[in-house]
Amino acid sequence: MRQPRWRKLLRDGLVMAALAAFALTVVLPLVWVFVTSLKSSPEVFASPWSLPGSPRWDNYARAWREAGIGQCALNSLIVTLATLAILLPVGSMAAYIFARYPFRGSRTLFGAFLGGMTFPLFLTIVPLFFLLQALGLFDSLEGLTLVYVAYSLPFTVFVMTGFFQTLPQELVESAMIDGCGHVTAFWKVMLPLARPGLLVVGIFNAIGLWNEYPLALVLVVSDEIRTLPLGVANLMMTEHYQSDWGALFAGLVIVMGPVLAVYWAFRDRIHDTMVAGALKG
Amino acid sequence: MRTNNRGRAWFVAGFLAPATLLYAVFVVLPVCQAFQISLYRWRGISEQKTFVGLANFQRLAGDEVFRQALGHNLAFLLAGGALTLGLAMAIAHAIHGNGRWARVIRGVYLFPQIISMVVVAVLWMFVYNPSFGILKASLQSVGLGRFAMDWLGTPGTALPAVLVTFVWHAVGFHIMLFSAGLRTIPAEVQEAATLDGADGMLRFRQVTLPMLFPVLRVAIVYMVIGALNVFALVYLMTVGGPDRRTEVMLTYLYEQAFKHSDFGYGTALAVANLAVVMALSGLAMLLLRRDPTEAKA
Repeated sequence: MRQPRWRKLLRDGLVMAALAAFALTVVLPLVWVFVTSLKSSPEVFASPWSLPGSPRWDNYARAWREAGIGQCALNSLIVTLATLAILLPVGSMAAYIFARYPFRGSRTLFGAFLGGMTFPLFLTIVPLFFLLQALGLFDSLEGLTLVYVAYSLPFTVFVMTGFFQTLPQELVESAMIDGCGHVTAFWKVMLPLARPGLLVVGIFNAIGLWNEYPLALVLVVSDEIRTLPLGVANLMMTEHYQSDWGALFAGLVIVMGPVLAVYWAFRDRIHDTMVAGALKG
Repeated sequence: MRTNNRGRAWFVAGFLAPATLLYAVFVVLPVCQAFQISLYRWRGISEQKTFVGLANFQRLAGDEVFRQALGHNLAFLLAGGALTLGLAMAIAHAIHGNGRWARVIRGVYLFPQIISMVVVAVLWMFVYNPSFGILKASLQSVGLGRFAMDWLGTPGTALPAVLVTFVWHAVGFHIMLFSAGLRTIPAEVQEAATLDGADGMLRFRQVTLPMLFPVLRVAIVYMVIGALNVFALVYLMTVGGPDRRTEVMLTYLYEQAFKHSDFGYGTALAVANLAVVMALSGLAMLLLRRDPTEAKA
């Protein structure tokens, strides 16, 4: 009886040590990015683990202005918000139909939307490159926004359809008895009720859009309309010559800081949405 | 009643139209065009678009770089996948309680998954940096400084180095899947197994693993898709080098289409990529079709 207990303690200790090591592997590199963003270049070279003598907030000023990260952040903010402003109403309207107004062929159309969640993005990247040129939308924030809306629709429609199905139908019926049409019932009754779903879908999409790289890489070429991931990737290539590591790491913090903050604030709901999306099959 | 029905039809059509139009123009149409373009030799100027049938795919079959790239993707799938799934399963199992570390890890394990791939790539380039990276400093601090080297620039170590980054990024997503799977196993089942004398590894093998099987199947399919669609990580960390030692299908596609303007061949690469993804996930589904829990019942 004694020995198993001793072994259990040892095993628990080992598991705890392994978990601690894992947590450090996840968190330390991110802390390191933040610490390095406050160091001068000589300090970065001297020792990667040392703390900055005095925090160099001017790294952020240089990244923001001279390296153009400020403009990139603004572009990313515009594209993210514009995409959400189109995506959420458009996706919700379609989802509401799929949830509440079945018609012949609606399952097929719904399936076609969901299909967009499974095929690799790169299949369409060459045709998109030319499609946007033909539409006069290439190398513009408008074009990038419309593409982002289209590629965010499958997940959004999927989650919102599930959400609308959980809302009580009686509310719509009583609204329509009161003289509301289908359209008014949707905007005045159902959409406000769907606010929690919209919030989590909005946040989830916002994180993905803020981070997005391959589509922006192919569809945007001008410096002035670069999004943040493009800007930071570009900074890395040029910093190779300038060796302003502090500013580059400040750029990294500007990309990941808002995402980590938003994730932390809504982590439980983001987590549940991700699980629902991932295990849909 | 008739007008009511017609009103409903207009409403349905009107509400579906914006989403369907955007989706048709920017997703469905390009998917169809991809298959078409893969049959052309096309340098990007419309007059020079020549139909060549399956010639692009024949060229693909004999392309040594494509073969190498596919091999690297399979390395991501097999080595990266085994490491990711093994780690994720172990960690999900270990945090399926309420200990202090379990709670800490539930808070942070998705961090690498939700930050931009660009940040992941740049961050790890500096971990591996041969002059001031974390890895070199860590080796030096334990007296192993002589093993420090330019990991991303050396042919033998570049692929393993990128692979470690891939696992660091991917493991959180799979912890999430397995944790969700573990929560669906009723506590009574675990308790009953323990009362029957099954503990530790035995309980894991006989009870937990079979009940996690449906989730494992999903996880493997995600792993196939993820490993065959690596792009940003390789493109930013090594651009496929040194000497194509880390080239993957999508970096090769990008090079052919957007660096060499060989759009027909690039799109054929995309179609081949889709075919490999579908074949391998289909194969995984087929091999894992038999659910051990059902077989025992």
